[in-house]
Amino acid sequence: MKRRDFILHLIGEISSYILEGDPSRMVISLHQEKDGLHLCIIDDSEHSDKEIEKMNKALNSRKRPELAGYYGAMTGQDLLGSSRLNLLGWQLKHCDVNRTGSGIKIDLWLGGDSFDSRQFTIPDQEKT
Amino acid sequence: MTKQSKVKIDTLLMILVLFLTALIISGFFVSGLGNSIKGFVKLQTHPARLINDYIEIAGIGGALLNAALVGFIGLILIHISGISFSGPTYAAILTMTGFGLFGKTPLNIIPIVLGVFISAKLVNKNFKDYLIIALFGTALGPLVSTLAWEIGFPLVPALITGLAGGIITGFFLPSIAFSMLHLHQGYNLYNMGLTCGFFGLFASALIKGLGHSYSTDIFWYSGASPFLIMLIPVVSLFLIIMGLIEGGGKSFSNLKEIFTFPGRLPSDFVDLGSLSGALINSGLIGLFGSLYIYIIDAPFNGPVIGGLLTIMGFGAFGTHLKNSWPVVTGVVAATMVTGNPLNSPGPVLAAIFSTTLSPLAGEFGIFPGILAGFIHLLMVLQTGSWHGGMNLYNNGFAGGLTAALIISVIQWYRTNKEEF
Repeated sequence: MKRRDFILHLIGEISSYILEGDPSRMVISLHQEKDGLHLCIIDDSEHSDKEIEKMNKALNSRKRPELAGYYGAMTGQDLLGSSRLNLLGWQLKHCDVNRTGSGIKIDLWLGGDSFDSRQFTIPDQEKT
Repeated sequence: MTKQSKVKIDTLLMILVLFLTALIISGFFVSGLGNSIKGFVKLQTHPARLINDYIEIAGIGGALLNAALVGFIGLILIHISGISFSGPTYAAILTMTGFGLFGKTPLNIIPIVLGVFISAKLVNKNFKDYLIIALFGTALGPLVSTLAWEIGFPLVPALITGLAGGIITGFFLPSIAFSMLHLHQGYNLYNMGLTCGFFGLFASALIKGLGHSYSTDIFWYSGASPFLIMLIPVVSLFLIIMGLIEGGGKSFSNLKEIFTFPGRLPSDFVDLGSLSGALINSGLIGLFGSLYIYIIDAPFNGPVIGGLLTIMGFGAFGTHLKNSWPVVTGVVAATMVTGNPLNSPGPVLAAIFSTTLSPLAGEFGIFPGILAGFIHLLMVLQTGSWHGGMNLYNNGFAGGLTAALIISVIQWYRTNKEEF
């Protein structure tokens, strides 16, 4: 898949999830390098601790190439029904979900086999 | 991989190996070693299109040996590709084994797997990325058997034709599978059924267009073997016990958690929920499915047992009692309205496999679920002849078309209704 399409689908899926919470503000920021990217999404909706725990579980799930390579094709495209963060989780290098003043900030790092975590702002102890 | 994940994988692998081994041994006990092997050999060159009940053709031992070997091929492929066992792979093995009782043989599935492998290499993917497509894509095994054994070629050209046909089939499956997925957006659990049905339309047209015809005989075992009647309930109880041991005091809440998932593809209940909940759910589906077959007085034969094994497999990958009862109700209602006997082959298999549409009930509620089941029965009674019985997952094909129809309407309504 072309990188541009890939990014569009990722943004589509994560935006769909955030918009389900009906925020009045959503900010998306993208930082690209040669073999990786960092996507940051901020909203101002209320999220319970349980929801954040579920998000962390889905986004930091173990790598599933057999699912990502096939069902991953639905990421950001087939948006009828609830959003599925696990579709993203299988494809990520790392993810952080943190509370901000009024909402949450989701950091997603993605990349290929030669992904260089030093190019990105992944917290030191978590760099892969 | 965490220690907990490793335990889950080991438990699933142990359950599958034990199950497949038990199938072979029990088959030998029931039919004898010689008869089982003779029956197994006979199946390899027998037509495999819907409906060829291998128990009727080769006896219990031969059919079980064939089914278990098909399952073991799946296990080996998963092991070779380095994929860990979980909901989808558990579903794939039980489905392959189940269809090894009515259509799949070791000989007719391997060329398709090879074709998927070549397809993966062409686009610089690893085989493990397309593993699920390869495992479920074996639904077109009958096409390989038809090309090899029903066209009328001598042995060597027949083998080459079957092999080449299977490889070409497998090669096209990934590209079609992705498109079909978008058609129903994950609301048809047997996406490879829709994929293989779509491909089967062309294959069947080609074979018929070249002037070849093939037999449309149906083999449907209608005996009442106590062994076959008890097989699924015993396996189901084993799964429930394993789930209870695994979950301990949390077993009931684990099962309740599974019931909260809509089941839309890809819902790996082992990962999203727990191994314990998935195993208990799988066992309960087997028990309730068997009870339904018993109540309507249908035979426990190859297709029925194969169907029950399939839905038990999907008990770890999208189906649970709460999201499946509405679609089954819809099938039963449609069967009665159309005046078909509930225990005739089409409606029996439709009731079992209609659970492919359970995500519709899980996501949109009871009424869309019942409606989906109703339409499914009407469709599935027709679709088999469209692809000449080449696609073993005929219910997945009909289910995919039904889901696509319902999803189109819901999507149109939601995206066109003015909100601003």
